[in-house]
Amino acid sequence: MDTLSTLISAMLVAGLYATMSYGLALIYGVLKIVNLANAGFLMIGAYATWWMWTAFGLDPLLAPLIIIPVFFLIGIAMERTMIQRVVDQEPIISLLLLFGVWLVLQNIAYLLFTGDTRSITIPLTDAVYQRGDIVIPWARVYVFAVGTLALVAMQLFLTRTQLGRAIRSIAQDRDASRLVGIDVKRVNAIAFGLGIALLGLAGSLLALLYSFNPDFGRTLTLKSFCIVVLGGLESFVGVAFGSVALAVAEAFGVRYMPASLQNLISFVVLVVVLIAFPKGIAGLLRRRSGV
Amino acid sequence: MSKVHVARPLIAAAALLCAVLVPFAYPHAEYALDVLFLIFLYGAMSAAWNIIGGFAGQISFGHAAFLGVGAYATMILWSGGWSPWATVPIAGGLAAIYSIVVGVPSFRLRGPYFSIATIGIGEATRLVALNWSKLTGGASGLTMAAGPPPQVQYLSALALCAAAFGISWWIVRSRFGFALAAIKQDTDAAQTLGVDTTLFKTLALALSAALVGIAGSIYAMHYLYVSPDSVFGFSTAIALVIMPIIGGVGTVWGPLIGAIVYTFIREQFAVKLANADLLAFGLLLVAIVLFEPKGIVGAWESIVARRGIRKRAAGATAGG
Repeated sequence: MDTLSTLISAMLVAGLYATMSYGLALIYGVLKIVNLANAGFLMIGAYATWWMWTAFGLDPLLAPLIIIPVFFLIGIAMERTMIQRVVDQEPIISLLLLFGVWLVLQNIAYLLFTGDTRSITIPLTDAVYQRGDIVIPWARVYVFAVGTLALVAMQLFLTRTQLGRAIRSIAQDRDASRLVGIDVKRVNAIAFGLGIALLGLAGSLLALLYSFNPDFGRTLTLKSFCIVVLGGLESFVGVAFGSVALAVAEAFGVRYMPASLQNLISFVVLVVVLIAFPKGIAGLLRRRSGV
Repeated sequence: MSKVHVARPLIAAAALLCAVLVPFAYPHAEYALDVLFLIFLYGAMSAAWNIIGGFAGQISFGHAAFLGVGAYATMILWSGGWSPWATVPIAGGLAAIYSIVVGVPSFRLRGPYFSIATIGIGEATRLVALNWSKLTGGASGLTMAAGPPPQVQYLSALALCAAAFGISWWIVRSRFGFALAAIKQDTDAAQTLGVDTTLFKTLALALSAALVGIAGSIYAMHYLYVSPDSVFGFSTAIALVIMPIIGGVGTVWGPLIGAIVYTFIREQFAVKLANADLLAFGLLLVAIVLFEPKGIVGAWESIVARRGIRKRAAGATAGG
C-alpha cells in the first residue's frame, strides 16, 4: 500500500518535472543552446501568478491564460535581440549570456518583491483525496493534468502542423532545413518563445504546490538538467522517461536517507549519468537498437 | 614591441613593491587596507579560475566548492589546535585532491555539459557540508575568536595574488599554456596532435583549485566564520565566474581588473540597496557577452589597435 502511494505521488511529480523540462529540451533541440536562465523564468512565472492574484484578484488557475502568451512574446523578443547574436558562436558564450539573464531576472525580483517567501493558498491547494492509506492532494492532480495537457498539445503541434514540422526539422539538421527553404531565423524565435512560454506555465503551476522566493527554481533547474540529460538533450520522449526515472528515484531514495538530502539525489544521478552515458540514456537506447 | 615586453614585468614589480609597502606606510588606513585585502584575495581567486576557465576554456560554475574545502580545512584544524598558517598547505592540497576526484570524471564531458556538471558538483558539495554536522557544524558553521593581525592578512593575500598572477604569466609562455590553448580551441584536434587533453585539463584544474583552496584558508582567517551559505553559497560561485569575465577571460591581467571592478561595485551598491550589486553584475555579464567577449582588457586592446591604425594611416598620408 505504501509503495503504491509512493508510486502515485512519484508519477504526479514526474508530470510536473516533464512540463518544466520540456522547455529546456525544446530550446536545446532547435537552437542548440542550454537555457541557463531556466530558473529565472520559472520564478517569474510563479511571481506573475502570485502578483495577479494578490493585486487584481485573478484566480491563480486562470493565470496561465495570460502568462503563456506574454511569456511567448517575451521569448521571441529575447531571441530577436540577444540569442540570435550568439546562436552560431561557441556554446559557452550563450551559456554565459543566459547565466547573466538569470542573474538579472533573479535580482529584479529581489528588488520588486523582496526576498520574503510567498505562497498561494486557494481552496484547491488544501483539498486532498483520501482512500485508505492513499492520500493525494488535489492540487498535484490538477498540476499533473494541466502539465500533461500542455505537453500533449505541444506534441500535436510539433507533429501535425507545418510550423511544428519545421521546428523538428531544424532540430534534426539545421543546414538541410535551410536548403529546403525553411526560414530558420523565424523558427528559432518561435521555438525559443514556446520554450519560455512552457517555463512560464510550469512556474505558474509550481506556485500552486510550493512556496517561493526570488531564488526559486535553482534546484528545480538542476533537476531539469538531470532529466534532459537522462533522456538525451534532444529527445522529446526522453524527457518523459527522464522525468519518471528521476521522480521514482527521489521518491524511493528518500526512504533510505534523510529528507534534507533528497535534492542530492538529482545531482548524483546527473553526475553519474553524465559520466556513464554522455549521450543520455536515450542516446544509449538509440545506439543499441541501431536506429 | 620589445620595449613593451621589458616594461610590463618592470611595472608589475614596481606595483608589487608599492603594494607591499602600503601597510608599513599607512598603518592606520584600516578601511583602505581592508578593500585592498579583498581585491587581492578575490584577484587571486579570479586568476585561479581563469587558469581552467580562461586558458583551458572549461567554464566552471562550481569553484565555490574548492573555496569551501580550503576554508573548512583551515577552520577545522585551527579549532583543533593547529596554527592557522600550518593549515594553508593542507587547505590547498585538499582542494586540489578534491578537484581531481570530481574533475577526472567530469572531464569526460565537453563544453556546456561540463559546465552543467560543475553546477551539480557545487550544489552537492554544499549539501554535504550542510548535512555533515559533526565535522562542519551544519548550517550554523564554524567560528573562531581571533585571527592574525590585518596587516599580516593583507600581506598573505597579496602574496597569494602575486603568486597566482605569476603563475598565469608563466602559463601563457609555457608549453603547458600552449597545450591549454590548443584544448580551448579544439579539444579533438589537440588530442589527435598528441596533447594528453585529460591530463592537462586535470593539471590546470588542480592548480586552479589549490590556489582557490589557499584563498579559502585566508578567507577563514579573515572572517573567522565559515558556513555552507557563505563559502558554498551561490553568490560566491557567481563572483568567481564574473570577475574574470568582466576583466577579460583568458588574459593574464583581466582577472585582476575584474576583481577591482567587482570589489568596487559590491562595496558601492550592496550597502545602498541589497541585490543591486548582483543585478549590476548580471547586466555587465550580458553586455560583455554581447558586445565585448574579451571583457575590459579586450575593449582596451581594440581601442589601442584602432588608434594604432589611425596613427599609421595619418603617418602614411603625411609621408606620401
